[in-house]
Amino acid sequence: MTQALDLAGRALRATEGDEADASVHVESSGLARFADSAVHQPTLIRDASVTLRVVRDGRVGSATTNRTGDEGLEAAARRAAAAAESSPVDPGFPGLQPPAPVPEVEGYDEATAGQTPEELAESAAAAIAAAGDVGLYGYYTSAVTELAVASSTGHAVSQAMTDASVLALAASDDASGYAEATSWRAGDLDPGAVAREAAEKAARTRDAAALEPGTYRAVLEPYAISELLFYFGFTSLNALAFLEGRSYLSGRLGERLFDESFTLSDDGLDSRGYPKAFDLEGAPKQRVALVEQGVARDVVWDRRTARQAGDGRESTGHGLGPPAQGFGPIPFNLSLAGGDARSVAELAERVGDGIHVTRLHYLGVVDPREGIITGMTRDGTFRIEGGRVTEPLVNLRFTTSFPALAAGLLGLTEEVTLVNRSDFYDERYPYGTLVPAVATDAFTIVGTGSGPGL
Amino acid sequence: MDALAEHAIDAAVAAGAGYADARAVRRRAQHVATKNGDVDSVSDSETEGIGVRVLVDGAWGFAGDPRLTGEGARDAALRAVSFARASASRARRRVDLASVAVASGEFAPAVARDPIEVPLEEKIALCLRADQGMRRPEVKITEATVRAMREERVFRSSEGARLRQRFVECGGGIDALAVSDDGRVQNRSYPSAHGGSSGQAGWEHVEGLGLEGEAERVGEEAAALLEADPCPAGVTTIVVDAEQMLLQVHESVGHPTELDRVYGTEAAYAGTSFLRPEDLGSLRYGSEHMNVTADPTTPLGLGTFGWDDEGSPARRQPVVEEGILTGYLASRETSRLIGRELAGSMRADGWSRMPLVRMSNLHLEPGAGTLEDLLADVDRGLYLCTNKSWSIDDKRLNFQFGTQVAWEIRKGKLGRMLRDPTYTGVTPEFWGRLDGVAGAEEWRLHGLTNCGKGQPGQHAHVSHGTAPARFRDVQVGVRQ
Repeated sequence: MTQALDLAGRALRATEGDEADASVHVESSGLARFADSAVHQPTLIRDASVTLRVVRDGRVGSATTNRTGDEGLEAAARRAAAAAESSPVDPGFPGLQPPAPVPEVEGYDEATAGQTPEELAESAAAAIAAAGDVGLYGYYTSAVTELAVASSTGHAVSQAMTDASVLALAASDDASGYAEATSWRAGDLDPGAVAREAAEKAARTRDAAALEPGTYRAVLEPYAISELLFYFGFTSLNALAFLEGRSYLSGRLGERLFDESFTLSDDGLDSRGYPKAFDLEGAPKQRVALVEQGVARDVVWDRRTARQAGDGRESTGHGLGPPAQGFGPIPFNLSLAGGDARSVAELAERVGDGIHVTRLHYLGVVDPREGIITGMTRDGTFRIEGGRVTEPLVNLRFTTSFPALAAGLLGLTEEVTLVNRSDFYDERYPYGTLVPAVATDAFTIVGTGSGPGL
Repeated sequence: MDALAEHAIDAAVAAGAGYADARAVRRRAQHVATKNGDVDSVSDSETEGIGVRVLVDGAWGFAGDPRLTGEGARDAALRAVSFARASASRARRRVDLASVAVASGEFAPAVARDPIEVPLEEKIALCLRADQGMRRPEVKITEATVRAMREERVFRSSEGARLRQRFVECGGGIDALAVSDDGRVQNRSYPSAHGGSSGQAGWEHVEGLGLEGEAERVGEEAAALLEADPCPAGVTTIVVDAEQMLLQVHESVGHPTELDRVYGTEAAYAGTSFLRPEDLGSLRYGSEHMNVTADPTTPLGLGTFGWDDEGSPARRQPVVEEGILTGYLASRETSRLIGRELAGSMRADGWSRMPLVRMSNLHLEPGAGTLEDLLADVDRGLYLCTNKSWSIDDKRLNFQFGTQVAWEIRKGKLGRMLRDPTYTGVTPEFWGRLDGVAGAEEWRLHGLTNCGKGQPGQHAHVSHGTAPARFRDVQVGVRQ
């Protein structure tokens, strides 16, 4: 039994016979943040929190605490019950998760779980040393996280997860390059190699040229397509947005919306990603085919939206649980199938003339219904001429239609890469996307920004 | 909590810290959300713990522990020291701190009615009434939210600071989403998008927002947007409402004047700044109408404190005066680097995060006249209201904002409603085109709770006082 499941059981007992569930999050993490090639914000966090949801005659309330002694849990149970008593009946409440088996998944590595502060600092130092003379900015981090859900229905599940990431921005006043790597096994990471990739890219970004606005052919590295895909997924592959008509897929399931090379799933069971056995309501994780050969097939569901759909649907295991369920179900394990290009260089050949984008910055969804997203490129934007990457470009503002981008695919690499998508706000919950690099004929640039560098 | 913080400091110093501070924090928060006439969520959360920050041989270390016990305080201190020591052996430069007067005291905002103590039933009822007021056939989704928070924070440092602060926040907002039969989607919000507006105040602040009173207008405008013409593209004069101005100030003045960004500390994530240390006192940021002030003493401000999270006292500080950069948001470390005595603006998200340079309350100072006066001097232009989308580059230069609605301005008067407006610019050029800010009677304080920064990520709660402002020759209608 994990520490989290034991805590969930104790919390549930504090509800004294109410219809209730307890979800538990236990974290031990370390992050060695560095800037200008020195570790400057090393942070160690330990926490354990419990969210109790109490249901009384169809009225639902929740309370969260990190006071995990008996007194703290009993107080949380009283507050959850008071919240339920204060509420009118929730007609959309789907009930608590009934007992159900959850899949066995990987995602825990003992060596990663046991990393010490000294090892974190050593990994950061290895990255810094490998960058050479150029300043390195970023972090090395690892964590062990336990999740558990226990319910008065008898459902009780838990999972221990590890995660590790290295992120490197190699930068000087007039140059910058970026690379990152992530895995649930710290041993898979080579901080020095990541830093070298960033430094080598930075060295090619000096004397960047401007670019006229327009729609360009483009190669998007995994870091870039991962971020676009996640924003599109958050706003359009979410059943709540779908049911409310806010999603690009609303009313369009079954239609051929994208290039036939575009096949997308959400796959929490894939050990190449950050595997999950269940969601934050305890519902078993399922692989969901979202787009097959360009045809929109489905979105991800939680218990509430599945009930709302009313057509026999069931949760696919993508619920957030209280009190965050208002966002709807989220595809935390997006996986874009690879294609037939053997390398990023081959994608550039298919583009012919266009641009190469390493990384994006500060995305905003301009129109979720149409899938229009804005943001900037940074830390490695280049011109492609005659099928080859040539001169560096300044940071570019794009305002582009993701559906048009995915409808105009010119190719995807065979190799897919796990890209971390967590910025480690609030409680640690590792997730990322499995993506290839892609080439498209429709990436719209609307303006230019500053040059690469600090 | 006082004794625990003291215990943590003692443990850190005994273990070799040259400097240590500790924050013991207890936070309680409530959130109520209704949707389409039903309760969407009712939650009541608490968290507590201690965060210990140390300097060992000139290198930082930080550790957070949820146990407000002697053992928890000691463990956090020793872990912080061990991480700092591991980092120090690889440090390239030693961290030095600007001196600050050793402070002792207490701070608490004036609160008539503690928002946590307001019954949940009352909060739910308010949301349901506001929710109901927005409904009409075209509006498919109505949402209302209120929030309340109370936090006790004790600070101790090895220099002898002894501070006890209490923070109380509450706020709310409403949103209406209209969907047409052919799938077009539009929304309106009040008093701000993205979670409403909050203040550091008692429940009287939420009651004063007038959520119910504004609900009908919000619903009507969301429905009307479905039939509105799209905002055309072009270069024109824009008048930006106070709510959108808060984000304009936040993104294009607040973040670039954070001195840690100027020195590159945030380069890998939030980004840097187009500003340089030597720009202080000379860089022209905008026109003579531009006056921006950081003020952690503003009544009702979410960034109002007695002392920041490294013990520096709250102090009002100009950031831009008549268009010239005259101040930065700073920490003791960055003040030392730049060699100037700057007001401290270090804030941490709870007990488990290390303090960072953050905005407190950052205001665009009022000019003169009314909104009507600003409009009167526009032959052709747009009045842009309520943020819908935002994005800005890593140096805080190139930005693009979308607003929920625009109204055409023709010969000084508001005309037809337009949908999907956007505008774009480059920070100092854009602010250089500022040719009027409305006066104090139009100035409003907005509080937002979703400012992100740092690795691991931290949310900050900040306020901005703004009034409608007019900019000439701005590119609008940027769309794919």
